[in-house]
Amino acid sequence: MIAAASLALLAGGALGASLLRRSWQRRDRSAIGLIAGGWGVLAGLALASAVLIGPVKGLALALALQGIGALVVVWSSRVRRKAARLREGEVAPEPLEEPGRFWRGVLRALLAGPLGMTAAMGIAFCITVYLPGDPRTRIVLGGMMMPVLWGLAMTWTLADRRLLRATAVLAGTSIVGFGLAALGGAA
Amino acid sequence: MNDMKARNSRSRQWRWPISPETVRAVLSSHSVLGLAFAGIIYLVCLTGTIAVFAPDLERWEIPAAPVISSLSDTAAARAIAEGARHAPADATLYLSLPTPARDGATLVAYSPTFERKWAVAADGALADMEAIWTEFLIHLHVNLHLPRSWGEFIVGLTGVALLSSLVSGILAHPRIVRDAFHLRLGGSRRLQEADLHNRLGVWALPFHFALALTGALLGLSTVIVAALSLLLYRGDMGKVYELFLDPPPPVDARAVPMPDIAALIADARARAPGAQPQSLMVERPGRADMRISVDGGRPRLLVSQDETRFDARGAMVHDEHPQDIVTGTRLLGGIGQIHFGWFGGLPVRLAYGLLGLALCVVTSTGVTIWLARRRDRGRPAPRWERIWATVCWGQPAILALTALLALLTPTAPLPAAWLGLTILSILAAALAGTISADRLSRGWRWALAILLLALALLHGVPLLGKDMAPLLVDALLLAGGLGLLASLLRGQKARAVAI
Repeated sequence: MIAAASLALLAGGALGASLLRRSWQRRDRSAIGLIAGGWGVLAGLALASAVLIGPVKGLALALALQGIGALVVVWSSRVRRKAARLREGEVAPEPLEEPGRFWRGVLRALLAGPLGMTAAMGIAFCITVYLPGDPRTRIVLGGMMMPVLWGLAMTWTLADRRLLRATAVLAGTSIVGFGLAALGGAA
Repeated sequence: MNDMKARNSRSRQWRWPISPETVRAVLSSHSVLGLAFAGIIYLVCLTGTIAVFAPDLERWEIPAAPVISSLSDTAAARAIAEGARHAPADATLYLSLPTPARDGATLVAYSPTFERKWAVAADGALADMEAIWTEFLIHLHVNLHLPRSWGEFIVGLTGVALLSSLVSGILAHPRIVRDAFHLRLGGSRRLQEADLHNRLGVWALPFHFALALTGALLGLSTVIVAALSLLLYRGDMGKVYELFLDPPPPVDARAVPMPDIAALIADARARAPGAQPQSLMVERPGRADMRISVDGGRPRLLVSQDETRFDARGAMVHDEHPQDIVTGTRLLGGIGQIHFGWFGGLPVRLAYGLLGLALCVVTSTGVTIWLARRRDRGRPAPRWERIWATVCWGQPAILALTALLALLTPTAPLPAAWLGLTILSILAAALAGTISADRLSRGWRWALAILLLALALLHGVPLLGKDMAPLLVDALLLAGGLGLLASLLRGQKARAVAI
């Protein structure tokens, strides 16, 4: 069952991506049917997989196999170039560069690391304490939120040049989050 | 008219909702984080990609171990009795039964001071199954061979860094639609690497996100539980674990006879008509405080959700089924399954292997783009180019070398060998100023191709004509080695033509 479904999802992923690629080649977005068809095939197969194989198992299988199918389409449409120079319009945005100062680097590492972690934990534990429902579900949901929130905090603090603002927000979130969670937990 | 239509359609085009200035700031964050964690993300992804095939690697390492597709209840009882004879009385025995997603039955006996693993034959007889290289690889992936909690925390932190990089990578990619299907190879190195980095990163994003999130959760679970217990239970971590695990019965070390295990499995099966027993756990076998749990799985569910538990006399003390299990417990059980790809047999393992390889390429190209950008701007970093080439191609070669070492000298200290070779290779790359990064990279690829072919031949040839199952890994090694060799020879020919 899984082997047959895997092949179908692989082929479906490739078909959906091919339709999207045809619409992409037109550039002027006139191919609404192709876009709808492409996403329809991908979403429909993921749904069918969830119904036939199992809600989580089927969806996980669909996301993995359809991704590979789409990458097969990308790989099969690769082009070989000889020009070593970048053409106009091919240049991606450049990262902002600021003069490197040691103390700013240390502060950023502290913000993205320990302080980001405590802020993420503060919010996650508030969710755990105040969310209605079974405590086990609340703990697991809070736990799952924590890495995501920490990751977001990392992205933001490393992108924000105003370190004082980031420090204030993260420290404030940590204090308020842990404080509220402790109050709720004690109650 | 057509011109106007095109202009109008262009003006209607969807625009990236983030300002160019913010995109550049987020890209800077993506670069900083990626560069800071690149080495460890690459190592964790590489070892994880190989560790997906752990069941196949164990069979490859111990080709003589029996691999069965079904095990009778009587044989399961015999395996438990046999295992109990070889384990201390306070140990736990865990018997994994064959399932559609996993061939073979294994028995693990463990306690805080003891661990042993066997493969179970169809009649319940046990055969040693100490797959030392697979074990080494899994520990390298899970905790980098550091003390457990520290190692897991570092790997969890790596998962968070990967999550953050995925988010910032998408936010900083305003050309996500415009370049959705571009893959321009050759020509500008930076454009080629950027296309590979972005296409693999975007089209496999759901998989990479799920992997990073579950990995971060698995790694950080101890820290999360510790902080939560400090906040809510005055630091008593046991209170948090008690929510998910039933406390053991009061200690009673008196010896008692084992109950009829086969009858207990049959009893559990009768209580869950839609489920098939998938594992059996016997805690403190042969003691009065013994506890026996039979877990069952259903085809549509990701994790087993049927459990029947018995006491030392064989009396049922707990019985639960999917409708009794709360969402949190189900989510918790699914994290490992989703992370390791254990839920669908070989097709899922192959898919995870390919997408894991894609994540390794995303990590590798991320650093290469940064190095190429520096070179384009006239500020090359040849030392870092050499070090990165050594990490990217040296690590697979060093892992292959440790596998060869385990094959030829089973008692070799693999973690020490891996660490020594890694440090030496990086030091040599940093100091070898006369060798270019491209040449070094080619050297490592030659070494990897030769090692893969040597592994496949040394292991596979003696098995020809016998059991063919372990040859699957040999076939993959052979294909990898030959593919690499072909690409190296093609590159050599192209360079000769260019000269």
